[in-house]
Amino acid sequence: MMTDQQSPQTVTMRIDGREVTVPTGTTILRAAESVGIEIPHYCYHPGLSSPAMCRLCLVEVEGWPKPAPACKTTVAEGQVVHIESEMAQAQRTGVLEFYLLNHPLDCPICDQSGECQLQDYVFAQGREHGRGREPKRVLGRDDFGGDVLFNGDRCVMCTRCVRFMREVAEDERLCVVERGNRAVIDTFFDEGLEGSPFAGNIVDICPVGALVSKDFLHKARAWDLDRTPSVCPSCSQGCNITLQTRDDLVQRLKPRENMDVNGWWMCDFGRHNYEWINRVDRVEEPLVNGETQGWPEALGSLLGRLKEAKGEVKAVTWAHSTNEEMGLLKAMMEELGGSEVVYRSPRTVGELQLPGFPLLARREDLAPNVRGAEILGFTRVGDEEAEGGLDDLATHKGVLIVVGDPLEDQNENFGAQAELFIYLGSYLSKVAGNAHYVLPTTTFAEQEGSYTNVQGRVQRFWPGIRSPGSARPGWLILGALFAEFTETEAPIGADQAFVQVAKGVPEFGEITYRDMGTRGAPARKSAGVAGD
Amino acid sequence: MSEARRIPFNNPGWAGNTGEFQLTEAQVRGDEYVGKRPPEGGHPSGTSTYPYMLAEKDPEAPLFEGAYQERFEKIRSRYPDARSALLPSLGMAQELRGHLSPETMEQVAQLLGLSPAYVRGVATFYTMYNKRPVGRFLIQVCTNISCSLCGGDDVLQAFLNNTGTEMGETSEDGNFTVMEAECLAGCGFPTTVQINSRYYENVMPKDVPEILERLKAQGE
Ligand code: SF4
Ligand code: SF4
Ligand code: FES
Repeated sequence: MMTDQQSPQTVTMRIDGREVTVPTGTTILRAAESVGIEIPHYCYHPGLSSPAMCRLCLVEVEGWPKPAPACKTTVAEGQVVHIESEMAQAQRTGVLEFYLLNHPLDCPICDQSGECQLQDYVFAQGREHGRGREPKRVLGRDDFGGDVLFNGDRCVMCTRCVRFMREVAEDERLCVVERGNRAVIDTFFDEGLEGSPFAGNIVDICPVGALVSKDFLHKARAWDLDRTPSVCPSCSQGCNITLQTRDDLVQRLKPRENMDVNGWWMCDFGRHNYEWINRVDRVEEPLVNGETQGWPEALGSLLGRLKEAKGEVKAVTWAHSTNEEMGLLKAMMEELGGSEVVYRSPRTVGELQLPGFPLLARREDLAPNVRGAEILGFTRVGDEEAEGGLDDLATHKGVLIVVGDPLEDQNENFGAQAELFIYLGSYLSKVAGNAHYVLPTTTFAEQEGSYTNVQGRVQRFWPGIRSPGSARPGWLILGALFAEFTETEAPIGADQAFVQVAKGVPEFGEITYRDMGTRGAPARKSAGVAGD
Repeated sequence: MSEARRIPFNNPGWAGNTGEFQLTEAQVRGDEYVGKRPPEGGHPSGTSTYPYMLAEKDPEAPLFEGAYQERFEKIRSRYPDARSALLPSLGMAQELRGHLSPETMEQVAQLLGLSPAYVRGVATFYTMYNKRPVGRFLIQVCTNISCSLCGGDDVLQAFLNNTGTEMGETSEDGNFTVMEAECLAGCGFPTTVQINSRYYENVMPKDVPEILERLKAQGE
C-alpha cells in the first residue's frame, strides 16, 4: 500500500542493495540503468518492442518462485531485485552456455570482436569450457544486399534486426525462417535489403557479429578505433554520429543517440558518404601567389593588402562551412563594407523519412549548415548540383573571398581579374590556382565547430583526426584577420568564436558551447527563417 | 447411438499388429457431418480441411476463385488484422496447390497486404505447410521419444529404403514422400506413422513393404 507521502507516480525498490526510485511502469532493466547498472540483454533495445525472448536478462526477484526477465517485468513498490546473486548469475551462465552451443567462436576473424555483447558477457559470466559434444550446426554466410552481410552461425536470434525492419523502417524485409535449432534470419528468398535506405542500422543493433557491414569488413579492429562525437555532414538533418577513425583516417560512421534529432539511427546515404573526408589532395601550407609561406607572414601581408584594396568586396561560401566560419565571414564583410554573401548547396528531390522515428529524414538539402547560412542572412545561388550562379563573381574586379567551396564547376578564369583573391579551402582546385592567397582550412572532422540543422538545432562536433600540414580552422583564420582589422581580441577557441558570432544574431542568442553539450541546443525561431 | 458411430472394440488400430485404422470417416465424425462438406471447403468457417489430401493438386491453381474466393473473403472479414488471416489463407493455398512455393507465399502476401518476408517466416515456422511439392502419399514417421524407444528410427529407415528416397524427397513415381515427424500424439502405439490424414500405429519395419503396396494400389 502507498503511504500518503508517496506519490503514486513513482515506485521505490532495491536493486542489488541500492535504493531506486523510478516512475511507475518502468521495467527492472530501465530502473537498473537509471542507477548505472547494466543488466545483460540481447533482445531488448530501447528503440524497439520488447519480446523478452533472449532470456539473458533474467534476474532474481525476492519472493518470486521463478527468475524474471528484467526487460519486461515492471517494478513494484518495495520489490527487491538481485542481479548478481548466485541464482541470477547461474541463470546467465546457463543461458550463455546455450548461446555458445552452435556458435563458431570465430572472434579472431569477426568484425564485431571487441564490441560484441556475446564476447563480453561470456567473458564476464560464461562457463570457461563448453560441454557440447555434438557437431555444431553450420549455416554459413548470406549476402543480404545493400551493405549488409549475414553470418548465420554467429546469430543469437534476438530478432532485433527483424523488429527494426518491421517497426522502425516499416519495410518488413527480414524474417525468422524455420524454427527451433533450424531458425535463421533471412529475407524473402533473393529479395534482399537493396534499396532500403535505413537498413544499415541493423548492423549497429545486432549485438553480435551476425550482421556486419561489407564496407567495413576486415578494415579495422574495434579496439584500434578512436571515437569522436560529431554531426553527419551529408544533409541538413544533422544526425548525431560518432566518427570512428584509425591512423587519422575515418573508417566508418556510427549513429549517436539523440532523441531530439535521430534517435539511435542514421541513413545509409550519410553512413557511407565519408570517403571524401579522407581525401589526401589537400592544401597543407598557406600559398601566397603560389609560393609557400608561414602563417604570420601570409596573414601579415594579407592584412596590408586588404587595407589597401579599393574595389568592392564579394564573398562566396558553401553550406559545409560552420556557424563560426560563416559568422566571422559575415563580420569581416561588414567590416570591409562588402556586399551580401552568397552560398551554394546541393539539393535533391524528396525526403526519405524513417517511418518509425518520423523526426529523422534524409533531407533535401545535402549539406549540414543550410539553416546556419539562412540565419546569417546569406543568399543562396546556384542550382541543385550546387553549380553555377556565380557569373558576377567570376569576373569580379574588386576583392573576392571564397570560403570552403572548391568551385569545381567554375572555369579556370574564375577570379583571374580580381584585384585581391583570397581562397580559404581544403583542396587546391583549379580555381584556387588564381588566388593571391590560398589559406588551407581543416575539414569538419579535423576541427571543433557547430552546424545548425534543419530544425534550427545548433550542434557541436569535435576534431577526430589531425589535419595535414598547418591547415587551420576557417574561424581561426577569419577570426585573426577580423581581430587585426578591428584591433580587438581574436577568438582562440571555437567556443569563443561562436560567442562572438552569436552576439549579433538573435536566433543564436545566448547559446554557448556549454548549452549545446553533446546533443545540441535549439536556436530561437525567427520570422526570417522558414519554420518547421 | 447409431450403428455407424459405435467404435468397434476389436479394431486392430488400437493395439493390433499393423495398427491401421479401419474406421471410416463417417464412423469417426458421425454421418450427419460426412458428405455435407464438399471438397472445396464447404462451410466458409472451415479453413484448411484436407491438408494432406494432396493427390491431384494443381500447383498453378488460381488463388482464389469461386468457393475458395468466398471462403477467403469470409476468413479475411473475421479479423481486424490481416496477419490473423494468414494461417487459414496459407492452408487454403496449400489445399489447392499441394505446397507453398515462393510464388504462392508472395501471392498470399499480396492478397493480404503483408510483406512476403513475413509470410515466409510464418510458412516456414509450421511444419504442416509443405514448402516443396510432396508425393501422393505423405508419410510422416514419428521418431520422438516413445516411438524412438520402440524402433521408430528403424521404421523411418525402412520407409526410406522401400521407397528408395532420401528424407523429404519424392519417389520417382510421384507416390511417396517420407518425413520424420515429432510427436504425433500416438505414444500409446508406437511406432506411429501418419500417411496423409490417416494414422498407422504399431508399425514395425517388417510391415512397411505391405503398407506401401496397399497404398500404391490405392493410388492407381
Ligand atoms: S542477426 Fe543479429 S540482430 Fe538479427 S537476430 Fe541475429 S543476432 Fe539478432
Ligand atoms: S539523414 Fe542526413 S544527417 Fe542523417 S545520416 Fe542521413 S544524410 Fe546524415
Ligand atoms: S532482454 Fe530480456 S529477455 Fe531479452
